[in-house]
Amino acid sequence: MASPLRSLAYLLPQLWRALKEGPHTVKYPFDPVELPAGYRGRVIIRAENCRGCSMCVRDCPAFALELEREGRDAYRLIYHPERCAYCGQCELSCNFDAISLSNEFVPGKPDRKDLGVVLVNKEG
Amino acid sequence: MSKITVPIGPQHPLLKEPLAFSLTLEGEHVIESAMRLGYVHRGIERLSQERTYVQNVHLFERVCGICSHIHTTTYCQGVEALLGLEVPPRGLYLRALLCELERIHSHLLWLGVQARNIGFDTIFMYAWRDREIVLDIMEDLSGGRVSHAVNIIGGVRIDLTTEHRDVILRQLDTLEPQIETLLDVVENERSFQARTRNIGVLSLEQIRRYCVVGPVARASGLDMDLRRDAPTPPYDRLKFRVPVRYEGDAWARTMVRMLETVESVHLCRQILTTLPDGPTSVRAKRRVPPGEVVSRAEAPRGEVIYYIRSDGSDKPARVKVRTPTLTNLITLPDQLQNISMADVSVVLSGVDLCIACADR
Amino acid sequence: MLLKLLIFPGFLFLFLCALFFDWVDRRMLARFQGRVGPPWYQPVADLIKLLAKEDILPTGVNPLTAAVLPMVSLAAVLTAGLYIPFGAFSTASFEGDLIVVLFLLSIPALAYFLAGWISTGVYSVLGGSRALLQYFSYEVPFLMALAGPAILAGSWSITHIVDYQSQTIWIALMQPLGFVLAIIGLIGKLKRDPLDIPKAKSEVVAGSLTEFSGRKLALWHLTMNMQTVVGIFLLVNLFMGQSSVFGPIPAFLSFGLKSVGILLLLSTASALYARLRIDQLATLGWRVLAPLALVQILVATWIGG
Repeated sequence: MASPLRSLAYLLPQLWRALKEGPHTVKYPFDPVELPAGYRGRVIIRAENCRGCSMCVRDCPAFALELEREGRDAYRLIYHPERCAYCGQCELSCNFDAISLSNEFVPGKPDRKDLGVVLVNKEG
Repeated sequence: MSKITVPIGPQHPLLKEPLAFSLTLEGEHVIESAMRLGYVHRGIERLSQERTYVQNVHLFERVCGICSHIHTTTYCQGVEALLGLEVPPRGLYLRALLCELERIHSHLLWLGVQARNIGFDTIFMYAWRDREIVLDIMEDLSGGRVSHAVNIIGGVRIDLTTEHRDVILRQLDTLEPQIETLLDVVENERSFQARTRNIGVLSLEQIRRYCVVGPVARASGLDMDLRRDAPTPPYDRLKFRVPVRYEGDAWARTMVRMLETVESVHLCRQILTTLPDGPTSVRAKRRVPPGEVVSRAEAPRGEVIYYIRSDGSDKPARVKVRTPTLTNLITLPDQLQNISMADVSVVLSGVDLCIACADR
Repeated sequence: MLLKLLIFPGFLFLFLCALFFDWVDRRMLARFQGRVGPPWYQPVADLIKLLAKEDILPTGVNPLTAAVLPMVSLAAVLTAGLYIPFGAFSTASFEGDLIVVLFLLSIPALAYFLAGWISTGVYSVLGGSRALLQYFSYEVPFLMALAGPAILAGSWSITHIVDYQSQTIWIALMQPLGFVLAIIGLIGKLKRDPLDIPKAKSEVVAGSLTEFSGRKLALWHLTMNMQTVVGIFLLVNLFMGQSSVFGPIPAFLSFGLKSVGILLLLSTASALYARLRIDQLATLGWRVLAPLALVQILVATWIGG
């Protein structure tokens, strides 16, 4: 047990340390935040690798990917960031190294309809 | 003195998640309490039957906002048992690493909430400041601060380079003295003790009767920890103590949690230094053979149980989740008897409520 | 005279001090906790925002009482402020003004209790009754601690007590126990951490002020901040009066520095401890603080007499 006098102001050394060290907070909206390289953010695609196999669409737990097929090789892969859970399952499910997650935020928009992105648009 | 009924929740500054209590007070004295649950019921168990095993990993990650990793671990363990998969040791070690990091994160967060509820904002800020180191480690490791999405059926998604391992070891070195400072403050600070000692006392008999698990049980003298009692690899190769205290009050719970946090830092170090080489995952089939399995793991709040039944398709026939909060919640009406209104916050946060877990 | 009343050291000066002290306190607390804290204009912004908000009263509350209570308490605090000299400047002074100031300073506590009592919400009622309980716990040791300097100086006039100290040293040095008791009492009076029991967020939401909003809430906050200023000025006058020992520092400057020093002491206290329970405060007040204050008075009478 600490001495009675010390326990009257037990945290004092910690307060002093905090004063010396200065704030630990990140001034986020005013200063940029560094995201690690492996951060799971916006879904991006290497369109040349995509074969339209729809494995990513099948495994997406949040139904954020959509495949509109118009023929054997004609299809559109649409990404809906507003539904995306940024879990990275599409990246895992892709056998052709086409779809992946980049380390950037998806900025908000006033209308959720504007968020959708056409990732691949192949016309056969 | 006339009785008044005070509603606590579903919206109240004391509660971080919706839960409703109706307290009958006589002056400042609580004489009766009624609890209402179910405000964050999301029907996850039913949803899981509509989704494939692969999708469910990410669904069960969202059962809890704090101990997300342990839920997917337990689920994946179960599915792997059904599939008869042998997860490579490196995968298991990395899984355990995140489990322990998550335990530190969860306990520090809890300490902050407890301190906030007794009006000790300094401890709250310090605990959350230190927790940020853990969150940074986890973000670097998995790409997410709270939803790690690390587990896949058959192993883990991430891997670790030697340099990255050294970085984490260094971060742990800065974290450990800070946690020990917090432990020291909890142990010796007088006003903290004045608010938490002899509050919400649960006897060993009550603990047994209500099947209480986790730190709440360990604070009342029930020496149990799944990591030691029914170890899944790699816990059978790691050395750690299971802190147990016998007072059974809110202070003992704080002590148990903080001691566990220190143990978890040691465990993280052991895991990182004895990390075996090899692959981190094996490929899993999509269809799971028929059968049923019960999978258990020690979450930060206690034992979490998954019951999974498969009918041979790629979707589970039934997944039942039993979270530790649900069993610990049942003790609340007992604890809320004959205490002061001011102690309600200490009691409620003392059991480390995770309503999202309890409601699912 | 009107200038003195309205601008310096009257209303406007106290108002600016209240905002400044609020900022210093919040900033200091934030630094102790490893945060950045608000910018200097935050208290002004808060005040303007609250003034612009819609004023809502729950049904069943007497609108006149609800409007009068914050005004009365603000007026009481301002009036008390008039009798407290700032350095060498004072607006009004007479023999016995210390007692008047102490009376005026307890009006906000009563108004705070009434604000909870007239409200229909349970949290307000609980907060109000807690405020009254707290009042009974801290007020007795606080008054006894403040009686110490008066007995020593042989006068109930604040100016005389200050004059007495200019010939000797600070009373805080002669009666350190009384000074500590007065600080604790002041924390209780201002309902600051760790004695913010009547407005404990995790227990009674915001206490008496739960149902207040808009202009009335702004007035309440202003009252609290003004009370902080007046309370600190009072303590500085009584315990750390202008003393010749410390050389020829201008009274204005040294008084300001001493006030900020006491404010920092209060900030440190709020960072150091967990909130007490109301029964713990009652025990502390009656079993520890009141007997100590009594001892202090006896010693002061023995020395002074």
